Amino acid sequence: MNYLKEERLNALAAEYVVGTLRGKARTRYQKLMMQYQAVSDATAQWEQYLTGFAETLPPVTPPDSVWESIQVKLGHKAANDTEFVDQTTNAKPSSDNVIDLEKEKQKRWKNLSFISTAAALVLAVLLFMMQPVPTPEVSHIAVVNNADNAPLWVIEVSDTTMNVKVTDAFVALADKDYELWMVPANGEAPISLGLMPEVNGDTRATPDILLDQSIAALAVSLEAPGGSVTGAPTEVLYIAPIVSV
Amino acid sequence: MEHETLFPLLCKTADGDKKAFAELYKITSPQLYAVALKLLKRPELADEATQDAYIKIWHNAGNYQRGKGTVLTWMVSIARYRALDLIRYHNVRNEVELNDDAPSGMETTQSIKLEAEQAKLASCLDELDGPQRQAIHLAYVNGMSHQEVVTHLASPLGTIKSWIRRGLQSLQRCLSL
Repeated sequence: MNYLKEERLNALAAEYVVGTLRGKARTRYQKLMMQYQAVSDATAQWEQYLTGFAETLPPVTPPDSVWESIQVKLGHKAANDTEFVDQTTNAKPSSDNVIDLEKEKQKRWKNLSFISTAAALVLAVLLFMMQPVPTPEVSHIAVVNNADNAPLWVIEVSDTTMNVKVTDAFVALADKDYELWMVPANGEAPISLGLMPEVNGDTRATPDILLDQSIAALAVSLEAPGGSVTGAPTEVLYIAPIVSV
Repeated sequence: MEHETLFPLLCKTADGDKKAFAELYKITSPQLYAVALKLLKRPELADEATQDAYIKIWHNAGNYQRGKGTVLTWMVSIARYRALDLIRYHNVRNEVELNDDAPSGMETTQSIKLEAEQAKLASCLDELDGPQRQAIHLAYVNGMSHQEVVTHLASPLGTIKSWIRRGLQSLQRCLSL
């Protein structure tokens, strides 16, 4: 099926926005949105067409607890703190109870990247040694470890294919998907390489972009089902250095 | 509201301005919450969808592209997709009151101050056949699956799919004129 034929694309975009495109078809469509600008544009067009339905609903003010919870989750305010901690752009909350998400995230990235570098190198060597006849075309390998240093996915990259294997340590979440990203060495925004398999594994074509660009690392983010809607990772969980073998 | 208020607030939000984000929330949350509540029925789930939507909006404000639609459309879409995820995750059954669903031309045209595009949508919706409009409305606003629309409108699945598909085609033709 050629998803990019305009008519088919239009119908799919409309049903995606309406919400009647469900299950795996919805997930597939979300992947297409990330891959093709035309799909993303058609979706935006339909969102614009149909938003009038939503915007004409009589407004309902949410309970105050919703805003409270948003602020706490964003780290703008401590839990149980009845006053605004801070409303200015640059000042930092003074309470020790306030978790600075950005700092925490940076710390986690650093720790994760250090641990996963070591683990990936050990595993890369192990995997290399375990294969008496190494597949000649595999040029790079990456191992995605969780915070406990257990490998969740093993990724083998050749010029033509990218093979992603799921380990037994991986536990799928019903309401979340995991998305793979490549982090360009030049500091540009991460580029999505699609959703991670959650059972057994899969083999996909190696994206040209992966071969063309110098890569700092691969990253895996936690996303709503179907993956990031925005084209940027929502919550980066793991970083895996990519090493040549 | 859109150009004067929401876009500058979203730009400031993208820069990490918490006051602007609070203002953006104050102005838009009744609309997003209404959408989530209509889809999810259960207030605790609507709360969750609204929270998740604004957290995503805070983190992704910089990714908004003006050429792809208004700020409110972008925000409403984020809330809708999150609510649709929650419908599936919590297996929310979609049952609506009989008087709650059918959008009359009145309902779409009388509401708030419609901008030009919204007014056009309302007029194009009015041109749809009643069952087509109703089926699209049940799916989009109430988050019903094809099968749930079948049950609600007591028509065969093929008919429902056709109403929705043809209704959307007509809508697009009308809107692109």
